[in-house]
Order: sequence, then C-alpha cells, then structure tokens
Amino acid sequence: MSVWEIVELARHPDRPYSLDYIRRLAPDFIELHGDRLSADDPALLGGIGTWHGRTTVFLGHQKGRTLKERVARNWGMMHPEGYRKALRLARHAAKFGFPIVSLIDTPGAYPGAGAEERGIAAAIATAIMEWFQIRVPIVAAVIGEGGSGGALGMGVADRVIMLENSIYSVASPEAAASIVWRDNTRKVEAAEQLQLTSREIIGMGVVEEVVPEPPGSASADYDAAATALDEALYRHMQPLLAQPADELLQHRYDRFRYIDSLISAEPGFGPKVN
Amino acid sequence: MAIIERPREQVAMQGGELPEILLPTNCPGCGIGVDVSELRPHNYVCTNCGHHFRLGADVWIPLIADDGTWQERWEDVRSHDLLKWTVPKRYQEVVEELLAEGLNESVRTGTCTLAGHPIWLATFDFGFVGGTLSIVAGERLARGMEQAASAGIPYVLVSASGGARMQEGVLALMQLAKVNAAVGRLHAAGVPYFSVLTDPTFGGTAASLALLGDINIAEPGAAIGFTGPRVIKQATYADLPPGFQSAEFQLAHGQVDMVLPRTVLRPLLAHLLELHTR
Repeated sequence: MSVWEIVELARHPDRPYSLDYIRRLAPDFIELHGDRLSADDPALLGGIGTWHGRTTVFLGHQKGRTLKERVARNWGMMHPEGYRKALRLARHAAKFGFPIVSLIDTPGAYPGAGAEERGIAAAIATAIMEWFQIRVPIVAAVIGEGGSGGALGMGVADRVIMLENSIYSVASPEAAASIVWRDNTRKVEAAEQLQLTSREIIGMGVVEEVVPEPPGSASADYDAAATALDEALYRHMQPLLAQPADELLQHRYDRFRYIDSLISAEPGFGPKVN
Repeated sequence: MAIIERPREQVAMQGGELPEILLPTNCPGCGIGVDVSELRPHNYVCTNCGHHFRLGADVWIPLIADDGTWQERWEDVRSHDLLKWTVPKRYQEVVEELLAEGLNESVRTGTCTLAGHPIWLATFDFGFVGGTLSIVAGERLARGMEQAASAGIPYVLVSASGGARMQEGVLALMQLAKVNAAVGRLHAAGVPYFSVLTDPTFGGTAASLALLGDINIAEPGAAIGFTGPRVIKQATYADLPPGFQSAEFQLAHGQVDMVLPRTVLRPLLAHLLELHTR
C-alpha cells in the first residue's frame, strides 16, 4: 500500500470514529458537555462510562458522518473551548481517580479567525502543559488522523498507541506541500516525505504500539477493530493503574523528555550531549 | 549571588554593544532610508516610525545580557536529517549552509545577568529555518529550564518562530510536549518565567512555550498567532481585518500582558526581576 493510500484510509468517511469505539468499549457511556467558561465544543466529545469494571473518562475527536453532522462537529477540528473542556474533564477524572482514555482523530485545530481571537495557541499550550500534572493514568490512541498541534493537545499520555492505518504528523500533507512548493496539490509527495504512517512513527519511538486492523481496514469491521483497540488500550492501562501518582507523572515527563532518544542511540545520528 | 541594587531608569537599554547587521535599504514601516549607525544604538527600532526590525540571536543576546556575562550552553548539539528530507532542497545541506554562515540552530541558550540579576536566557533565531522548533531547539530549551527550575534562576525567553520544524517530522511536534513539560517544572518550582514575543511567533511555538510565561511581553506590530493568515484565508475564505494577529490584537484578546517598545524592554525586565525575586 502506498503512503497516500494509507492517508486516504486514515481519513476514510467510513472509518469508525471515536463514538463508534466508545459505545463498544463502554456501552453505558454518558456524554458530558461544556468547558464551564463559555461554550461546548462538539468537535471533542467527552464523558464517563464503565470500562473493564472501572469508571473511566473518555475523550475523543468526533468528525461526524453525515454532512449535517460534519458541520456540527466541525470535522473534528477543535476550538479553544475544546481544549478547556478536555482539561475540565481531566480534572474530574483526577478528583475521582478515574483513568483517562483519549482517542485522537483530527486534521488539526480549527484554522479560523474565531479560534485565533479566543486564544487557540494558548489553549493548546496550556493543555499540553497541564496534562503533565493530571494525577491519573492516561492512555491515548491515534485512531485516524493525528494532525499537528491540534492532535498533540489531546495526545500527552502515559502510553500512546496507533491503529495500523492511522497517521500522525507535524503538518498535514497539504500544509507541507503548500510550505514547500506553495502548491497544496503536491500532497502525495509531501506525505511521503513526512513519514507519518504508523510503521514510521513507531520506528521513531513516538508510540508504544501499532494495533493491527481487521482485513480490509477498520472501516470493514467496526466490532473487530473495537475489540483490537480495546485489548491494546487495556493492556497498556493495566500496569498504570497500580502505579503511584508521583511515579506516574515522573514517567510521563520522561516519556516526552527523552522521546527523541532513539535517534541519539545510533552513533553519529542524533543530538550530541556534552 | 548578590543582586546589585539599581533603579530601573538607570538600567541601560542594551546590555552590551550590538553587532552591525544587514538591513533593508529602506524601513518597511515608513520607507525612510535606513542608517545602520543610527539604528544600532536604538536597538534597531526605526527612529522615524518605530518599526521594529527583526533581530537574530547574535543581537538579542547582547541586547538583554549585561556586557561580558553571557555563557552559552550546549552549543554543539546538532541537527540530523532523520527523515532524509529532500524537498525543495536536502535538509542536511540547508542546515550545513546555515551553520557555515555562523548561525547555530533556531534556539540558543545560556546564562547571564540582567542588571545584575542572574538569569537563564533563550532566544530564537528566525534566520535558522524560520526559527522553527527542532529537536536541538527543544533539547536546549528543556535542559535550560530544568536547570533554571532546580537552581531557582529566572528564565527569559525571546521568541521568533514559524512553528515546529516540518523537516524533522513528528519528532519536531513532540518538542512542544517536551518543552511544555519543562515549563511546568519552572512554574512548579516558583521560578519566574518572562516571555518576550517578537515578529513573528506562530504555530507550535505560540502553542507551546511562548504564551506560557508568567508575564508575556510583545513587541509593537509583531505578528503572533497559531495559524498563519494565508492558511486561514485558504481554509475559511474569511476576510481578515487589518491588525489581525498583531501584538496589539493579542493584547486586546488577553494573550499578552503588554506591548512594549524594544527600547524599554531591558529596564522593564530588570524591574520585573526585582519585583519577583525579593
């Protein structure tokens, strides 16, 4: 499969979205709304449900299936209010000792004037910083598109895994093509340069595991995809549940502090330390 | 270390003599002919219209640091072409050419004093691949912040950056998390962190350390935001009002504490250091 075919699979309109997984992982899921400041961001859904016998906070980008739904969900592109809602629910989880599962599936944060006016940069910055202080286990999974800062704002976790046909990237292929050639139609070449497939990402040591998808990709069999995701998420969550909070936060810090250490492991290939 | 008592109006507007830099022949603000010898003692602010010229790290360091106190750290940490990036040019070549020109990555960091106050200083260099946040930049920033946090030394940042460095892929994106985790350490340790935002500060740099200062100070007219105006127009077909994403816009929208001319930056930083370290 070519890199571009993987990008298309990751963005496929039939691909299961966060809610398709959450409903299977926690059938009693209750959605909660609002950032308690000014608004509710429908691009990010959040709520609580029972997962493996334990109350768990679920967060996930939601793209929307029909055109009407897509407009309502803003194609899964969050506004500042979404990051504030996520932190509010993270504090809820920390108060009650609930673990957090975060599902990532976004082209990026919303590139609009309103988002800028209401402080999208600071909202993402604050979210990324605050995740390091949340004293309960967090496991994140990239289930479709992991687009840039908008994705990382929901992606600071103790473990991060990826579905096989998902992507994680510093910039979308279109944005990269537009930067390099001022021509966003050269997205296929850009995608090949960016090394954004799950196989490449795990090779860089950025995620802990790539979860295989059922034959014909996750779109072909929602139940099988959800079962595989569930098994992997819980396998990563289980050891974290027993870890003392201070140790958990130190490990989370170290996970990102030394995330680029794989490239320095090879002689002559990586930051030189004096 | 003893702190030298000095009223803030006596703090010089430069710590040391600024190097001469290449400037356009005419001021982009007012079109007047540019005279380097006249602008240099004015911290490269146009004496006619107040336009703030973009500065590299080689100018920012003597502008902020007391003369002769700058001690640079981790200068020999180097970039590597881990994605084998070739478009429009080989990334490795781009980096080597910039190093040969005397630039040293998009962030330089070290210790110095400012009006006698010991500080950690980090400054972006827009001339190095658009001041983009790279693995080397992230590493220098995180190490400095960790040391500042454990030693209780205030941290001053000067930013000018296009965001995360595309040519280093998802590992460049991960620097946002690495650096923000370290900013969290500064805050947890009660160490003052002052962020100076200059033209331009965008993308992953705005969405990480640049807007997380205890006090955020922007230069007049600096463009600051997350998504660049060209992309916003492409994505939303919106007409953006004049002054959109300017420093003044960010002040009006609650993102920065003040918009301040470069000529009074150093006395202000000295005063802020005094207020936060007594």
